[in-house]
Amino acid sequence: METATHQSDEDILIQGLKSGSEADFQKAVRLYTPGMMAVASYYLDKASAEETVQDCWVTVIDAIQNFEGRSGLKTWLHRIVANRAKNHLRKHKREVSADFSEALDPELASRFRPNGRWATPPSLRFHEDAESLMENGALSDCLDQHLARLPETQRSALMLYEAHQHKSDDVCNLLDVSASNLRVLLHRARQKIFLMVETFQETGEC
Amino acid sequence: MLMCRDLARIASDYIDDELGTAQKLSVKMHLMMCRYCRSFIGNLRASTALMQAHSSQKLDEEFLRRIEERVADSLNARNTGNRNPE
Ligand SMILES: [Zn+2]
Repeated sequence: METATHQSDEDILIQGLKSGSEADFQKAVRLYTPGMMAVASYYLDKASAEETVQDCWVTVIDAIQNFEGRSGLKTWLHRIVANRAKNHLRKHKREVSADFSEALDPELASRFRPNGRWATPPSLRFHEDAESLMENGALSDCLDQHLARLPETQRSALMLYEAHQHKSDDVCNLLDVSASNLRVLLHRARQKIFLMVETFQETGEC
Repeated sequence: MLMCRDLARIASDYIDDELGTAQKLSVKMHLMMCRYCRSFIGNLRASTALMQAHSSQKLDEEFLRRIEERVADSLNARNTGNRNPE
């Protein structure tokens, strides 16, 4: 299987970045900044997170020369951001408080009888696939609003795992959480998204 | 015997295939008998897929332009520096 001669889009982009192409940097900034913000926001408030991500991009101009491609470009960038954010945190002595309490969201927990059976069962089924659901602009906006309301820790975990398709190990390293704590963060966030989609499907309201 | 509430507690691990063999089996048994939990798992999966489809998180144009400008400035400074070493 000789695939070494075939260059992926990412390889081409990396070459562009190494050669200092402004257009390729613009492309990379648009492609990777959302994920980098998800990492930075886990550790820092919005203003510091934005500052950190911006600084990272400037360092990347030189650092990219030493990028050997052992990890993907995305993972490499996310690691740079995580390290910087942690340093920033050390300097400013702000503790990350992750919510690792009960596994069930209170709203969901209230929907069971004392005997553990559903009192208010989930009533809806999705008849459409996710892509066509997202074409509903109102639902997409609603998802944005609810994501914004999640605790930073849950949102970052969810974004990195689902939207940016990192493996569990990766997310644990980036966010400095144990595997079991990541499970809790993901689980809590998903329940919120589930409840939001259910309400939206039932009432058409966010 | 696994109850609906217990299933809801471990639903996320089930979806990601993070459960041990015994737990996975008891979830499967429960799902065979309970249409509510089938519905719950189905909808939770769909919510998860929705999140994935939503990966195009809204970008703050103003913020992106600030980054692009700083990157462009740094690139220019570097290129000029290389051509005319002081
Ligand atoms: Zn059930």
